[in-house]
Amino acid sequence: MTSRTPWKRMAALLAASTLALTACGQADNLAEDEETTAPVQTAQETETDQPPATEGDGGGEPGEATIRFAWWGSDSRHQMNQQLIDAFEAEHPNITVVPDYTDWGGYWDKLATQTAAGDTPDVMMQEERYLREYADRGILANLNDFDVDTSKIDPSILGSGEFSDGLWGIATGVNVRVMMADPEVFAAAGVEMPDDKTWTWDDYNEIMSQISANTEDGVYGAQDFGIPESVELTVWARQHGQDLWDPSGEIGFDPETMAARWQVTLDLIEAGGAPEVSQGLEINAAGPEQSLVATGRGAISPFWSNQLEAITSAAGHELQLLRYPGESQFERQGLFLKPAMALSMSASSEYPEEAALFLDWMLNSPEAGEIILSDRGLPANLDVRAHIMDQLGEADQQAAQFVEDVSADILDSANTPPRGAGEVNSLLQRINEEVLFGQITPQEGAERFIEEASAITGD
Amino acid sequence: MTDLKHAPQSAEVEPLFQEPQPSSEARRRRSMRWHRVRGVAKHVGLVLAAFVMLYPLLWMVASSIKPDALIFREPWLIPSEVSLENYTQGWNALLHPFSHYLANSFLVVLGAVLGNLVSCTLAAYAFARLKFRLRNLWFAIMLMSIMLPIHVIIVPQYILFSELGWINTFAPLIVPKLLATDAFFVFLLVQFFRGVPRELDEAATIDGANHLRIFFQVMLPLATPALATTAIFTFIWTWNDFFSQLIFLTKPDMYTVPIALRSFLDSTGQSSWGAMFAMSIVSLIPLFLVFLFGQRYLVRGIATTGLK
Amino acid sequence: MSVLSELGSLRKSKSLDRGPSQRHDGKWALFFLAPWFVGLVLIVAGPLLASLYLSLTDYDLLSNANFIGLENYVEMFGDRRLRKSLVVTFTYVIVSVPLQLMAALGLALLLDRGLRGLAIYRSAFYLPSLLGSSVAIAILWRQIFGADGLVNQLLAVIGIDGPGWISHPDYALGTLMVLNVWTFGSPMVIFLAGLRQIPTMYYEAASLDGASKLQQFFTITLPLLSPIIFFNLVLQVINAFQTFTQSYIVSNGTGGPVDSTLFYTLYLYQEGFGNLNMGYASAMAWLLLVIIAGMTAANFLLSKYWVFYND
Repeated sequence: MTSRTPWKRMAALLAASTLALTACGQADNLAEDEETTAPVQTAQETETDQPPATEGDGGGEPGEATIRFAWWGSDSRHQMNQQLIDAFEAEHPNITVVPDYTDWGGYWDKLATQTAAGDTPDVMMQEERYLREYADRGILANLNDFDVDTSKIDPSILGSGEFSDGLWGIATGVNVRVMMADPEVFAAAGVEMPDDKTWTWDDYNEIMSQISANTEDGVYGAQDFGIPESVELTVWARQHGQDLWDPSGEIGFDPETMAARWQVTLDLIEAGGAPEVSQGLEINAAGPEQSLVATGRGAISPFWSNQLEAITSAAGHELQLLRYPGESQFERQGLFLKPAMALSMSASSEYPEEAALFLDWMLNSPEAGEIILSDRGLPANLDVRAHIMDQLGEADQQAAQFVEDVSADILDSANTPPRGAGEVNSLLQRINEEVLFGQITPQEGAERFIEEASAITGD
Repeated sequence: MTDLKHAPQSAEVEPLFQEPQPSSEARRRRSMRWHRVRGVAKHVGLVLAAFVMLYPLLWMVASSIKPDALIFREPWLIPSEVSLENYTQGWNALLHPFSHYLANSFLVVLGAVLGNLVSCTLAAYAFARLKFRLRNLWFAIMLMSIMLPIHVIIVPQYILFSELGWINTFAPLIVPKLLATDAFFVFLLVQFFRGVPRELDEAATIDGANHLRIFFQVMLPLATPALATTAIFTFIWTWNDFFSQLIFLTKPDMYTVPIALRSFLDSTGQSSWGAMFAMSIVSLIPLFLVFLFGQRYLVRGIATTGLK
Repeated sequence: MSVLSELGSLRKSKSLDRGPSQRHDGKWALFFLAPWFVGLVLIVAGPLLASLYLSLTDYDLLSNANFIGLENYVEMFGDRRLRKSLVVTFTYVIVSVPLQLMAALGLALLLDRGLRGLAIYRSAFYLPSLLGSSVAIAILWRQIFGADGLVNQLLAVIGIDGPGWISHPDYALGTLMVLNVWTFGSPMVIFLAGLRQIPTMYYEAASLDGASKLQQFFTITLPLLSPIIFFNLVLQVINAFQTFTQSYIVSNGTGGPVDSTLFYTLYLYQEGFGNLNMGYASAMAWLLLVIIAGMTAANFLLSKYWVFYND
């Protein structure tokens, strides 16, 4: 229970401040009876206030247990998770699951604050970027110590939560990075869909520029904003036989490789195949529903496979999924299965057995799979995946089919990012902007990124 | 006392003051024509400016009555299809009907308004009228408390409230207001109380009134407009406050409007824009009504804080 | 005596200490201040001092804090982004506060009196301030200032091809300043109130003397309004130094493009919650406190030279 210590410090501080203030007050002729008693009382109260004794571990019998489950998302996920909770509670009447949800940004602020106070939720959604931050500081429980069945989980996915001699999170879904293409824009430009198994980055530049040229103003070939997220670099580096991180968690590529990826974008923008930089930034920041493809203003936007449904419904007609260019151009293939939305457990949970039971149920029961469908990407549990395949909506089936097709050609998974990956991602975002706006050259950008990223993850 | 109650208010009662009077009839007629032209020009200008000011709001209204898929594909003001589906759907999209979150917000706002009214007036009276040592120092400390950014305060506060068992109750949002931690309003009310002529409480003192009676029988009646100002600003700011409500409320049963609105959006997946716009409009209505009906007090209130 | 002359007279201890009687009201003060004191000790002082202590540690929110002395403060000297954020914030304060106050004052003058439908106009001009912290606001702003937004559509009519106002590093900060001006509702309302206090007879007398409107503005309106201008100035400066929401929303929390809207508090938030350097963020908070307190004190000192009090 590391979590109790910050409070002790607070209590001490409070007591100190109380003393200081009452001392001032007395000197000031201000402090009379009411004044001194109240704060001191509180300080004492807080020192002695211990967490209530657990009720659930009485003699091995299934007692009442209340666990908290925290996640991020929007209304559709909130409803879905509530259904999950209802179904689980119906099966296990002695367990109450309390939901705690918010949007992506708020989620991490809230989780960090709760953790600081020792109120970490019993079961929580985690993300690759932050998993290590929490696991390495002892916040998360080692799932190997609990009765969680991982035998049906896609092994390449399971690896993303295995490090530091433990299993700290289990990804619930799988995604693949794809180019979402609008056939109508291709048709309007009179350009043929490329063969996505063989097209190179040069083809990409040429085709995208041609589409921009052949369509009206305001319609572009590609939504390409350089390397706004690490995934763009991961795919590119892997195609060049490298990776964003090496297995030991250090930078796994050389600056020339990174600079060359930026050059692709700069050339494309110059040729008119992508929106100019500030507009590109705007579109990139606006999210899936306002992307070029979703609004009919472009032929291609890069996204994760599970975002197809949102973008298809915004676009209003069927889209096509393409592999990244360059898959057969350099050393090897770059695409990889991205583990998504890991489930983790708090190390300080009052009811670890029940929390593990809930986590296992969400991961492995076909019943939960039927409720979740593809909300977290394609289910990581292979049995569940097969079970729900025909229950998916049209766009989701299309995405699932694509992932199946690609999986056959995928060589290995990308290396797990080290601690500090969240900070590295914002560093990348910043340097990406500097390079695209022409404030530094791609080579300078790459060198600076490697230097600063190493410093962040090194300590 | 009854006289006192009415005197300052009637002094303020509204009137649109007249423009300065020119001296002769001829000048007057000429200037009236000139005024009419200028009046029209003013209105045209103001309507144009108001349009620019309100454009985002109009856009939001327009988007809230468009089918979800058309919001960004047809981002112009006049919708090609109109439907109220976003409203019905948004109302029911979350775990509770939206009225639940509105009710929670009203509770928080009510508590905050009452809290600020009671505690800030008390503190303000002391700063404005009482004589005690190091008053200026205490006053400076009070002002300082609004100078630290919330993001470094929130974690220690959370730990504090968590130990008190207040997490996931409205207490962290209301109790601080009961304890006059909203320095802005203490300050505002201090200004007001000090504007009340001292002769009044001196007279009351001679009649044998103690500070409690002066507070209730002299200050508060005269302070009605300033209290209205405090109430309205507290209402608006608390209604919109997202961060502390996000952090301190963990159960969906307790969520308030700002948290509920964000629950429609997911930057990593699928968002319900239409529903979010529709419910944003719904949640703006109470604010707008409060401002519309409150503004005469607001304008009057602040003016009165400086009344001689 | 106006709101602000009160504020100004805080400096003069004489006017402060003139009570109904000359005795000390210690016990009464205790009674009236009791809630405030409890609040100060329980809710304000604890976290305040905690943050001061944390500024001397390497606190990362998730594990225990280790005392590291002044290291965080020393680190601030060499922090390039911190320097950038100070430049951004000071630029913003210096440019946008006067701009917003002028806009608020101008509209307050227009909406003061003698116009039909004042209540409606006032509400219309106040509405954006209500919208200010809405979740929807980022998208709404993009509709106006985006590359395809309203502004550029209007510019296109006169043949100008406008940039993406919020997504180009050269324009983003300027656009945020405009957005700030756009939410001038609160100071406007306060100015309106101030204008109401100026007795009309001054204007009547002045126009009898043949003074022009302009002369009247400078000789009557400005001096009599100066305490209110001062009040708004003090509060808006404090607010502007703490600007967070606008940039957080418009830049998705990055402070971009290329850190051009990296406000001090946004950077502080990034360090505290994004990078889990709460110790460093706390140190930054105390530097900010010193800066704001200094500016506020300077404002009070300078007010002697330009604020006109009536008492």
